[in-house]
Amino acid sequence: MLRLRAEAPPGALVLRPVLEGGEAHPSGFEGRPGQVLDLHPRLRWVGADGASNAPQWEAVGAACIRAAGEATRVAIDARGLPDAVAVALGAGAVLRAWRFEALKSRRTPGPRRLSLLVDDPDRAAPHWARAKAGVEGALLARELVAEPANRLHPREFARRLKALESEGLEVEVLKPAQLRKLGAGGLLAVGQGAAEGPRMVILRWKGRFAAPPVAFVGKGICFDTGGISIKPAAGMEKMRGDMAGAAACAGAMLALARRNSPCPAVAVLALAENATSGHAYRPGDVLTMLSGRSVEIIDTDAEGRLVLADALHYAATRYKPQAILDLATLTGSVVTALGHHRAGLYGNEAALGAAVAAAGEAVGERLWPLPIGQAHRRDLDSPIADLRQCAPAGPMLPDACHAAAFLREFVGLLPWAHLDIAGVSEEAGAEGLAPRHAPTGFGARLLDALVERHFEDPHRV
Amino acid sequence: MLDIAFAKPALPKAGGLVLLLAEEAAPTGLAAQLDAAMEGGLVRALEAAGFKGRKGQSATLWAPAPGIGKLLVLGMGKEGGAAAAEKLGGSAAAAMAGEVTAMIAADGLPAAEAASVAMGAALRHYRFDRYRTTEKAEDKPKLSKLTVATGEGTAAKAAWAPMKAVVEGVFLARDLVSEPPNVLNPVEFAKRCEALSSLGLEVDVLGVKEMRKLGMGALLGVAQGSINEPRLVVMRWNGASKGKKASNPVCFIGKGVTFDTGGISIKPAGGMEDMKWDMAGAGTVAGLMAALAGRKAKVDAVGLLGLVENMPGHNAQRPGDVVTSASGQTIEVINTDAEGRLVLADVIHYAIEKYDPKFMVDLATLTGAIIVALGHEHAGLFANDDELAARIVAAGQATGEACWRMPLGDAYDKQIKSDIADMKNVGGGRAGGSITAAQFIQRFVQKKPWAHLDIAGTAWSSKDAPTTPKGATAFGVRLLDRMVAEHYEG
Repeated sequence: MLRLRAEAPPGALVLRPVLEGGEAHPSGFEGRPGQVLDLHPRLRWVGADGASNAPQWEAVGAACIRAAGEATRVAIDARGLPDAVAVALGAGAVLRAWRFEALKSRRTPGPRRLSLLVDDPDRAAPHWARAKAGVEGALLARELVAEPANRLHPREFARRLKALESEGLEVEVLKPAQLRKLGAGGLLAVGQGAAEGPRMVILRWKGRFAAPPVAFVGKGICFDTGGISIKPAAGMEKMRGDMAGAAACAGAMLALARRNSPCPAVAVLALAENATSGHAYRPGDVLTMLSGRSVEIIDTDAEGRLVLADALHYAATRYKPQAILDLATLTGSVVTALGHHRAGLYGNEAALGAAVAAAGEAVGERLWPLPIGQAHRRDLDSPIADLRQCAPAGPMLPDACHAAAFLREFVGLLPWAHLDIAGVSEEAGAEGLAPRHAPTGFGARLLDALVERHFEDPHRV
Repeated sequence: MLDIAFAKPALPKAGGLVLLLAEEAAPTGLAAQLDAAMEGGLVRALEAAGFKGRKGQSATLWAPAPGIGKLLVLGMGKEGGAAAAEKLGGSAAAAMAGEVTAMIAADGLPAAEAASVAMGAALRHYRFDRYRTTEKAEDKPKLSKLTVATGEGTAAKAAWAPMKAVVEGVFLARDLVSEPPNVLNPVEFAKRCEALSSLGLEVDVLGVKEMRKLGMGALLGVAQGSINEPRLVVMRWNGASKGKKASNPVCFIGKGVTFDTGGISIKPAGGMEDMKWDMAGAGTVAGLMAALAGRKAKVDAVGLLGLVENMPGHNAQRPGDVVTSASGQTIEVINTDAEGRLVLADVIHYAIEKYDPKFMVDLATLTGAIIVALGHEHAGLFANDDELAARIVAAGQATGEACWRMPLGDAYDKQIKSDIADMKNVGGGRAGGSITAAQFIQRFVQKKPWAHLDIAGTAWSSKDAPTTPKGATAFGVRLLDRMVAEHYEG
């Protein structure tokens, strides 16, 4: 992944971040972000001016990788910089150098062997080990999101999660028969049109103190055709990434395990494929959810909230967690609201919401709070069932707020936060921590940071 | 407006009566008097109806005592306060619409809340029926006089006087927003603003010639497709400086697109009639200025209204046009239906150059995206100043005109980079559409304290609310009046 060294290995291209006030240069290079100075075949300067926190230094690390072009061996020169800065440069570089090449018969040229040059590799090592765990979590999430839906269907997704047992996680997979026994009507209905049935996967990390766990709940729609309310063809291929919430939760669990977090945690992932078929569920159907509530279906393409509702109820009642967070690529509406630079944050407790938002700022996965108003809940009143899953079609519906209002009905009184990551699960720009249009792994590092900052003091709970 | 009087508590001889009862409380005052006149019949009836005085509960009795036609009993629940009192007043006025006169027994409330009851009733009693010529008399609301019974008449009257001015401002805004677009074009809008000089407002109207001299290419570009000329209305209220020279006034800026077809980027036909209220921001600013003047607020305030009609005439601006704004910055017009920000850009620049404001708040029915983001319960609030934003949010909560803060940031600003001009007027499809609109406006505020309220979801209501009949809400008049009263007077 990345090696800490004191000197650049032979043949490596050295990339040196340069701040303003550093070495002035007649070429006009001033160290501005985005500037690169090709000094000689083995050394490039990369603008780092203004970088003052971890996300900004990570961006510089990513800029170093961009500046490296097709060089295979690269060394990022963080000598003279504090360990925290060096580690952020390294994290940004690793995240940016990642590519999904499992399905390519020839690898594309670019940085593969990364070194981070530091004054004292032994001193920096523990800092890097901590950062690495979060990065590995994000990369697992990306690998899962990038996989096409013919390869990563619910059964295969569950199999890959099962492999995480080697990391010290307990993994339990509930198959359709068990889901039927439980009465998980939401997850079953969404999955019933697909050849591969739905799964509920539970990942547990015991931690080192006895306390109710923190619970993560993820939407894992391996492919979303929209079902009978089918989506337009243009862009539908992106729907292979509609399981990014579940992938992020899995990534966060891996991070907790890799860094041996003391905090007990559990992730409940609802995996299904929303397909069209003679068996598919229909608009107008009324489902009985795991919680016993009846839900009228208006639009089969609003499936994420149905699988989440069952997973939330399951997590809430079985584990009685101290807090419950769900992540989902849930609505187009949140993209209209916040674009691609922030995810939507909803919840029922201000303190948890503030902690989640702060964790997001710390790792550069930024959120913005959005409201659940009384009218949003009222809009879900159904004439035939306890509630309906979304408002009937109309222009300009606040669907992201409706979805959050729906989910709130299934968490009881637990502190809960809901992250609608539909706008941020894929890299929108060219200057992010992931290559353009690649999965970001958004959420994995955020949840890991949240646990570390907020849930690892056993005396707090 | 409803004729409102305050009187000592005494049972009315005629008309309707509204009693306000707290939760699980025995009747006192006028309610007790009526119960006595009914020989205990009131308490019995309420018991039979299961009425416990809970918030939202109501019971109706007909002819409970000689002279009284309709009796309405409203539950107050356990919480008091101005907002609750307003809602009670509003519900009372709606229920008494069929009576010619009515009394609300506010004898159990403090004077300020008795006045709030009156305010709620007056706000709810609004009706825009200027164009209903064949409506039968029995279908029209009859209520014309409302008496609020209170033991503290003098204090209640004193509290009501400034509220009445605010209600008049709200009504002005609702009238302007409700008017059809063939009647209320920019010239007519400006004329109605000029009439407000009777309140002590100084009103200036700038026409095409003056705006051209000021280089307002962005605003004029929007206007050029219509035969109705644009106007820039400036209304000044010098309530703090009086005769002396006003300095650093607070500035309110309204988008006043009297009709928005979308221009060449024409809108779909379905629902286009709603675009008559695309001037609600300007309507609100006019109403706010009338309210400030009407209650003689001790503040120097300037209201600026950018009034245009966005039509696809033969001279209309095109997607691809580049216009030069009054600030000198150039704008590539990608979508002629993103016209509100073009108008605001020039008006905001003018406000800064001419008045050096303490702060600016602009109001605009700017984006559909804000409805997708928030729905109809909150307006979107964007600001470059946290104190100003916090004051707006607080005033919004107090007046029931709720605002939700939305983000700004460089990443969003990059979306409006243009290949040919300093910026383009839309960026990046629908993603973050309200935010990129706010970023556009922010490029013209020169780092002055500024807030932008996107009221596209809150300017018009499709159903009745306790103090707002369906239709134009005048969202923002009460909020900003309250914010001025709490922070910028004296």
